[in-house]
Amino acid sequence: MTAPFPTPKTEDAQRLLGPDEIEAALRDIGARRYHNLHPFHRLLHDGKLNKDQVRAWALNRYYYQAMIPVKDAAVLARMEDASLRRVWRQRIVDHDGDAPGDGGIERWLKLAEGVGFERAYVESTQGILSATRFSVDAYVHFVKERSLLEAIASSLTEMFSPTIISERVAGMLKNYDFITKDTLAYFDKRLTQAPRDAEFAIDYVKQHATTPELQRKAMAALTFKCNVLWTQLDALYFAYVAPGMIPPDAWTPGTGLVPEVTQAAGTGTIGATDVPRLPRGVRLRHDEVRGQHVLLAPERTFDLDGNAVAVLSLVDGRRTVRDIAGVLAETYAADRAVIEVDVLAMLNDLATKRVLER
Amino acid sequence: MNAVTPTGPVLPAPVGLLAELTHRCPLRCPYCSNPLELDRRSGELDTATWQRVLTEAAGLGVLHVHLSGGEPTARNDIVEITETCAKLGLYSNLITSGVGGALAKLDALYDVGLDHVQLSVQGVDAANAEKIGGLKNAQPQKLAFAERVTQLGLPLTLNSVIHRGNIHEVEGFIDLAVKLGAKRLEVAHTQYYGWAYVNRPALMPDKAQVDRSIRIVEAARERLKGQLVIDLVVPDYYAKYPKACAGGWGRKLMNVTPAGKVLPCHAAETIKQLEFWYVTDHSLGDIWANSPAFTAYRGTDWMQEPCRSCDRREKDWGGCRCQALALAGDAAATDPACSLSPLHAKVRELATEEAAETPPDYVYRTIGSNADRAVRSPLTEEAPQ
Repeated sequence: MTAPFPTPKTEDAQRLLGPDEIEAALRDIGARRYHNLHPFHRLLHDGKLNKDQVRAWALNRYYYQAMIPVKDAAVLARMEDASLRRVWRQRIVDHDGDAPGDGGIERWLKLAEGVGFERAYVESTQGILSATRFSVDAYVHFVKERSLLEAIASSLTEMFSPTIISERVAGMLKNYDFITKDTLAYFDKRLTQAPRDAEFAIDYVKQHATTPELQRKAMAALTFKCNVLWTQLDALYFAYVAPGMIPPDAWTPGTGLVPEVTQAAGTGTIGATDVPRLPRGVRLRHDEVRGQHVLLAPERTFDLDGNAVAVLSLVDGRRTVRDIAGVLAETYAADRAVIEVDVLAMLNDLATKRVLER
Repeated sequence: MNAVTPTGPVLPAPVGLLAELTHRCPLRCPYCSNPLELDRRSGELDTATWQRVLTEAAGLGVLHVHLSGGEPTARNDIVEITETCAKLGLYSNLITSGVGGALAKLDALYDVGLDHVQLSVQGVDAANAEKIGGLKNAQPQKLAFAERVTQLGLPLTLNSVIHRGNIHEVEGFIDLAVKLGAKRLEVAHTQYYGWAYVNRPALMPDKAQVDRSIRIVEAARERLKGQLVIDLVVPDYYAKYPKACAGGWGRKLMNVTPAGKVLPCHAAETIKQLEFWYVTDHSLGDIWANSPAFTAYRGTDWMQEPCRSCDRREKDWGGCRCQALALAGDAAATDPACSLSPLHAKVRELATEEAAETPPDYVYRTIGSNADRAVRSPLTEEAPQ
């Protein structure tokens, strides 16, 4: 099944378009399909996402950023013309940098760290959505398998990116108190890099799409790329906005974050990233006679309600408080942050009574 | 659904079993909670009977078993008994002096699943502690025992019984608990039953000392929050309301003596008219539900005024029956420790007088005929002569 793409119009489909016409047709694709139109981006830029939703975006988008040089190296490998390679290799330099600590990937990591992530967790990509991985990998495969013209045409989304970047930077700085100008340093560079790259690519397409069929292939390539970007946002929206269906193994709020400094109110205060455990001499037991769970501890018995049992059943000396809240949030389809506050209060109460440790 | 008309209050299941495995003990503390007539070794229940009692207790709904004595580790089968608790899911609490053979058996107790250790400490200063406990060289043994408990990762509670001979050491007990890595400290003012009743003039602190000890504990609780839990038992005679003895008569606790007699509290034998049943004659469940000793003061039907109409009657259950008998001459009277008792002022006065006098020598706990030691006239509403 071929994707129905309405540009060019049916009567133009068989006709060779002039250089301005092909550029207009390509821009028209972006005007209708570029991901700045996606509801997730609208929420992002308008400050309607919560911090965890912004985190989910930053985390998933990292995989795209990280694979861009892989994609560009694949394109580069197909270029037999040194003058083309000299131009194209700049993209790899832009993303990878000339040295550690430099380049677009590094700046994206800074962004991810800026919203609270552990760098290593982001780099591991273990928490990304499968849809992100499939989309990005499809892009890499596309540039390897299709013609060089299609590979280059697929990069033409850069024609549209300055608009989105301007919107994004302004919107995010204005709307999120956890976003700083430093966090968004990635986009500063892209504002100048993207137009330069796009200019080269559009010229190449104009020059090399010499038949109606090649022009249609170039347009299809750009449509494909728009879909690569759009699909990623669909998946983010589905998992983290509505219906909030986070797939198994994907990032759940609370994981992969740098521990927030929790100020101990007294010795033994348990924070969200601590791993609580029941020490020897404290046991969770079902009391068959009374038909309830109890926590048996030195010289005392705690009668437990359903909530306490749900929490303490997850205290296994391996899960963090945040993990526990995450599991409960999933089980009860509730907000993890709200649950985490309750879990912390309950566990700290038990810690104060010396029947729970970390 | 069938409508069920309850015919009476549902009998609550017991939560705790105080298993007094033996009355033998290397210490001779003058406030010992054991009765004046101590059971001899020859009369102690055997291993199989204790195991049956524990099995019945678990079936009844008991959650905590306090392995006590005397010194419970004086029994050769303490490890087997503890293991039985673990297998039955019962929470085992070893209440020990930490002396004699206790340390030698500790690792084996840990291995079979002992849950918790409550170690008694008589004092902080070794000479003072050993004078109170009546055993030379006890203190170093206790400290070594405590060290091994925390080394094993077992939760440790220090129990200090407070009286005029060590009330100046309350800060010291707190420091000691922290130093030993205890999670809990019981600062338990002496309750004047059994041997403590005999020794009351030697033990009773004055009000200022008691108040000071309470302030110290309260400050330490705040300072050591999350590190050390301190339970404070205030002395009855200076309290406003009595404590719910054993959580209420026949409501939470069963106490089995070394010979197998089952008591609602460890001092209940002082009430001579009560009929106690033995585990060798009855099942624990039968005793809990039907033994005359348990039914005598269970609930509120037996109460007199001011208890009968008091809105605290289901909070403190009238206080302690044994103390009511000892001080008021009637086990069904309001505990004179209660400020609502007509005898309360007299109790205060008595305590104040005794605390002001030079303390007599301790009458140390011994096995033998001691019943006559506790003979004292009950208080009357007129001034005592």
